[in-house]
Amino acid sequence: MTIVAANPAVRRRARISLPFTLVFGGVIIGLSTIVAFFPSLFAPYDPAAMDYNALLQAPTVAHPFGTDSFGRDVLTRVIHAYTVDMQIALFATLFPFVFGTIVGALVGYAGGWANALFGRVVDAIITFPFLVLVIAIVAVLGPGLVNMYVAVSVVGWVFYARLVATEVQVQKRLDYADSGRAMGYRPLRIIFRHLLPNAITPALVYWMTDMALAILLGSSLGYLGLGAQPPTAEWGVQIADGKNFMNTAWWISVFPGIAIVITGLGFSLVGDGLAELLRTKK
Amino acid sequence: MSLVPYILRRLLQLIPTFAFIVLVVFILVRLLPGDPASAILGDRALDADVNRINAELGLDQPLPVQFIAFVKAIATGNLGNSITLKLPVTDLIAQRMPVTLMLTVMAALIALVLALPLAFLAALQRDKLADNAIRGVFQVGLSMPVFYLGIILLTVFGAGLGWFPVGGYGEGFLDHVHHLILPALTLALSLAAILMRNLRAAIIGVVGAEYVDFARAKGLRPRLIMIRHVLRNALISTVTLFGLSIGTLLGGAVITETVFAIPGAGRLMIDSIYGRDYPVVQGMTLALAVCVSLTFLLTDIVQAYLDPRVAR
Repeated sequence: MTIVAANPAVRRRARISLPFTLVFGGVIIGLSTIVAFFPSLFAPYDPAAMDYNALLQAPTVAHPFGTDSFGRDVLTRVIHAYTVDMQIALFATLFPFVFGTIVGALVGYAGGWANALFGRVVDAIITFPFLVLVIAIVAVLGPGLVNMYVAVSVVGWVFYARLVATEVQVQKRLDYADSGRAMGYRPLRIIFRHLLPNAITPALVYWMTDMALAILLGSSLGYLGLGAQPPTAEWGVQIADGKNFMNTAWWISVFPGIAIVITGLGFSLVGDGLAELLRTKK
Repeated sequence: MSLVPYILRRLLQLIPTFAFIVLVVFILVRLLPGDPASAILGDRALDADVNRINAELGLDQPLPVQFIAFVKAIATGNLGNSITLKLPVTDLIAQRMPVTLMLTVMAALIALVLALPLAFLAALQRDKLADNAIRGVFQVGLSMPVFYLGIILLTVFGAGLGWFPVGGYGEGFLDHVHHLILPALTLALSLAAILMRNLRAAIIGVVGAEYVDFARAKGLRPRLIMIRHVLRNALISTVTLFGLSIGTLLGGAVITETVFAIPGAGRLMIDSIYGRDYPVVQGMTLALAVCVSLTFLLTDIVQAYLDPRVAR
């Protein structure tokens, strides 16, 4: 199966029917991305505009999601938060994905002591509850989005590296890797041109799941006051804004939460669909 | 075969793990921008006072000397004193950790109680209505942040219906349980979703295995096949996943405790971050990591019991 996948001509010929989850999730993520890039096209008001004549208003035609305790339009803020939260999904996972993949490929190919040492590092890092370690690092660096990216990246690459290392170890024992070596290619060329394209699938699938987790983590830190800072419109920050008004003005917190669930669902569906697609192809 | 040699070997492996945990926590605190002395004394502290505190805390020493002192202190069970609460950090851990552990254990139990039967139902009804409904609900649960679910449960079942207290920890064991049901349920949902998914897949895999066909051909009763052959083998990977998830659960407990105002270790950690109470942040990180590594040990032992090949 690997030999088939390694040959682009065969891959192109294979007829692929897209799994439903992939299409459905893809539509959600596609729309979310468009909203994230052009929030002003969709938002009826300015996200920071306060209207003291319309505090804590229940949903109406003028304010479909109601207004918050500063008289800001909740729908507008949910829409503008797409820019921040989609950015979190990308930036909190991009470095771990790239760096983890490179490290994993090198470690997996080298094997031996490098792999043993890496195994120890992984064991030690997963001993720290991920969220606790990220919170502790953010506490040291100070609250804010950039420091949150740093904190997540310091820990997050390990999971990708482990996935890729395992896969590369399988691939390097196959015939085509031997042929590469027989042709006299240098190890780096074999690793990145030949082995990696066949070994990256699990990391790619995990990347999608990880983006869903990043949104959960980003909004959690926003909620705790350690991520995006008010008055930035971010879903976790909005939920924190509304938590004291749950009994009287539920709409402040409930709508941003629905946005989190839908976006998170989108990423996990794409992940599931991708996994299914790549499995059936094999 | 006896599991004793395996358990001893795993206990030995704890030594490097603990060493690494201590190293990471040490590095973490030395990265603190600005010095702890100013954090303790405030912005308008005199230089002389800052120097005095630095000397008291040993922060004027070279890093390797500090590290040795740090290790010595930990070995003697001294984690320093809280700056804001003026109490030894070890006392605070002893006070708060049981609350967090009780919350985590309750959440783990709820997750198991939800996941086990539903995974069976979903696997046996594969691709039918029940399966799709269970998977759909859990998929949504997996995308829902802990703090959001917590706020909603709190509003509906706490403030609205008045079935549960809206926060705090209560007095006495039964009252504790009553106070922790909603938070534990909040914490349990995503773990239940992960376990259900894994176990469902495992059961589907095992039901098709040859040894199950053989058991059926021998004429064993279906219930016996399910419990002795299918469940035991399907549980192996789920136990591993369950153990690995304890860290995530403890992390989630930090947020849950904040939402439900539970005086546990997580809440204390967040409060200490706001108050720049770095000895507490350091001590709590250490304590939580030790808890997780002990859970991993336990997981490995259970796994070795279920599948003796692991211990070889």
